[in-house]
Amino acid sequence: MSKQRPGGREGAASRRAFLAATATGATGALAGCVGLGGGRSDDQRPGVAGETLTLTTTTSTYDTGLLDEIHPDFEDLYGATVDAVAQGTGAALETARNGDSDVVMVHARGLEDEFMRNGYGINRRDLMFNDFVIVGPEDDPAGIEGADSATEALATIADAGATFVSRGDNSGTHTKELNLWEAAGVDPGGDWYQETGTGMGEALNVATQQGAYTLSDRGTFISQRSEIDLVVLVQGPIEDGPEILANPYGIMAVNPGVHENANYDLAMAYIGWITSPGTQDAISNYQVNGEQLFFPEAVSEDPNFQQYVPEGWSNSSDSE
Amino acid sequence: MIRLSNVSHAYDGEPVVDDASLSVEPGEVVAIIGPSGVGKTTLLRVLSLSLEPDAGTVELDGDSVWDADEDRRLALRRRVGMVFQDASLFDATVARNVEYGLRVRRGWNDRIRDGLRSVLGSNGTPRAVEEALDVVGLSDTLDQEADSLSGGEAQRVSFARALAYEPRFLLLDEPTSDLDPRNTGLIEDAIREARDRDIGVVVATHDMHQAERIADRVGVLLGDGFTEIGPTETIFEDPSDERTRKFISGELVY
Amino acid sequence: MPLEPVVGLLQGFLDLPFRDGYVPSVVYVSLYVSVIAVALSTLFSIPAALAMGFTDFPGKQFVKSVINTGMGFPSVVVGLLVLFAVSNRGPLGALDLVFTKEAMIMSQFVLATPPITAISLAAITGVSDNVRDAARVLGGTRLDTALVVIKEARYGIATAVLAGFGRAISEVGSVLIVGGNITGADGVSKTRTLTTAIQLEARQGRYETAMVLGAVLVAVVLTVNAIVVRLGDTGVNR
Ligand SMILES: Nc1ncnc2c1ncn2[C@@H]1O[C@H](COP(=O)(O)OP(=O)(O)OP(=O)(O)O)[C@@H](O)[C@H]1O
Ligand SMILES: [Mg+2]
Repeated sequence: MSKQRPGGREGAASRRAFLAATATGATGALAGCVGLGGGRSDDQRPGVAGETLTLTTTTSTYDTGLLDEIHPDFEDLYGATVDAVAQGTGAALETARNGDSDVVMVHARGLEDEFMRNGYGINRRDLMFNDFVIVGPEDDPAGIEGADSATEALATIADAGATFVSRGDNSGTHTKELNLWEAAGVDPGGDWYQETGTGMGEALNVATQQGAYTLSDRGTFISQRSEIDLVVLVQGPIEDGPEILANPYGIMAVNPGVHENANYDLAMAYIGWITSPGTQDAISNYQVNGEQLFFPEAVSEDPNFQQYVPEGWSNSSDSE
Repeated sequence: MIRLSNVSHAYDGEPVVDDASLSVEPGEVVAIIGPSGVGKTTLLRVLSLSLEPDAGTVELDGDSVWDADEDRRLALRRRVGMVFQDASLFDATVARNVEYGLRVRRGWNDRIRDGLRSVLGSNGTPRAVEEALDVVGLSDTLDQEADSLSGGEAQRVSFARALAYEPRFLLLDEPTSDLDPRNTGLIEDAIREARDRDIGVVVATHDMHQAERIADRVGVLLGDGFTEIGPTETIFEDPSDERTRKFISGELVY
Repeated sequence: MPLEPVVGLLQGFLDLPFRDGYVPSVVYVSLYVSVIAVALSTLFSIPAALAMGFTDFPGKQFVKSVINTGMGFPSVVVGLLVLFAVSNRGPLGALDLVFTKEAMIMSQFVLATPPITAISLAAITGVSDNVRDAARVLGGTRLDTALVVIKEARYGIATAVLAGFGRAISEVGSVLIVGGNITGADGVSKTRTLTTAIQLEARQGRYETAMVLGAVLVAVVLTVNAIVVRLGDTGVNR
């Protein structure tokens, strides 16, 4: 095993490059930055210039417009191109599993862990979070508004037989929803439970048209709020709702030991860049309709070793 | 000389021509007469070297056509011209139709250059095309679309198309079936003129008077093979075959 | 009242929420992929249709039924098959074609070829045997004869090409799967077509902008049809 810490040289280099480009005046004086200070002149760019990074991510991330907002900075810094492909979480991971992408940004920790355990993903970082909300028609036929518990709210919907729209597409949101039903002790099915097999935006539209409840990530809900007639009935942790509705995003590189064609250098540069203080600030500054969509999670004083390994992993546990 | 020896042909197991033999010399006109559906067109297609008979041999100027390779056969085929019963003009102008035989005989470089020129609209009509159309009295239709011609005009253009590249043998399938007497005369004159230029002509016709007017020899097809082939006078005045006699006199009705 | 949708559409054009260059680049990608795929399909289909129209060979009926089935082949399935082929793990993995226009062209080719071949074949079979014979008897080579048949069948072939183009440019499933619907950070489409852009807008509930892009798609298809019909009328034969 490598003795370097995750992110190794690339991560450090990218951070320096990022600082050099953003905090111009102050960092110019720092000796460590002199070599990269002219990072914008072509011959001194990192070796990844001109290359293309394929990022598979989820539709709910992509559709908020966050990546469009922040990527120009990365491309500017590294002279590299990011091809962002929006898929369901399951598809995003599968694409990476086949070696067709270099880095994945998803929100389904269980699936991410499996991906890492199978050796496909390495150097996972917590990236940012937002939360899920249970939304529904204003008249709230099942009467779930203000419930303290998301699972109770779902059980109430099921009892009332009120229409519920499920993504049904193996996305992070869908995975979350299934986990919630399980926690609520309900096996959803029947006329009131409709699987759309579509993206979040479409699911919200379907829910509007049918006067139905659905589980949405806050980001998509906010960015689409003006187009739909749904209100938040059960808040997530961002608005002091139950913790179970937290929606954490992780990012990891495709293991070049499994797929040697994976652009590992660029992937690590990207992970370094997106978890850097500057980009994390940009993420928290990103607003749609006047509201913040994502809360950065990568920069922290405290060590958080769990972000690098599958949940519950410990050195003494089984070695496969 | 085109020579068919013991040619037989069947369509889908249905015999049409059975054991037919015929030879045509340059400078003679042979008429093939017989009732409808007896196989005249089939025989002409064999003579034109475009249909390989099931049995028998086809020779042109001493070469056995269907034993030759593709290139040789193409060269042989280029010595014959044919006018189809239904004209079979291409969907193009009269000039392009009549020019066709000349065009395919030229090299690709020339053809491409001509194609470009014609797109630029500066292509003259070859002399041979104008002359051939003149023979059938249609020199003013050069730029007309073939599908706008009357039936008789189409038939005459088809004749001009076969004449334009001066084949050594000319096969005519009912060349005057759609024509008025004046234009029929025009075509018959052209057939005589072709004979004078030492072209061998075969005419399939229903019109026994026409056969009598233009043919040097007549072949009578009355089902399967020829019942009789001979000089025109003999066939019409003194046929040796009983069925031929009945057919000529109109007693034999099909 | 019937004017309402039209007015809505016009307003949509005026305030499209897109960056400069986005829509033109999406149109460009749509045309680039579809035109190249259809051109390749045509180059393949016409000789194939000629071969099937002119010659008999064992299994011909089987080939025909494969083509007819191909016309109704679901595009997502084609997309998946092409994805398997070009994926890093597939037989063409080394070429690195996933999420590229080239991969999209491959799947469009597979989609456009059956209708182009089948309709061309119908058109070519419809050319009278006598016209074919005429070309041969008048001294044409095999190639000359084939060219005559193509000219005679040109309207049918133009219809075939347009049908193939229509299928290619209006197709969503496979281009989404193999192309990835990618737009660069500069807002310029890399593998986003009009159809996948429409799908993206619809996914986010922005039905008005989706409609506007739909109108652009219809306009593009109509324009291409008009051009092809024009060419068929004047260019081929004078
Ligand atoms: N391509 C073909 N396939 C099958 N049968 C054919 C074909 N061409 C001709 N036949 C048949 O062969 C027979 C002879 O046809 P052909 O055209 O040679 O007769 P014909 O003597 O020219 O008749 P007509 O005087 O009416 O033109 C007819 O019964 C016809 O139906
Ligand atoms: Mg006939």
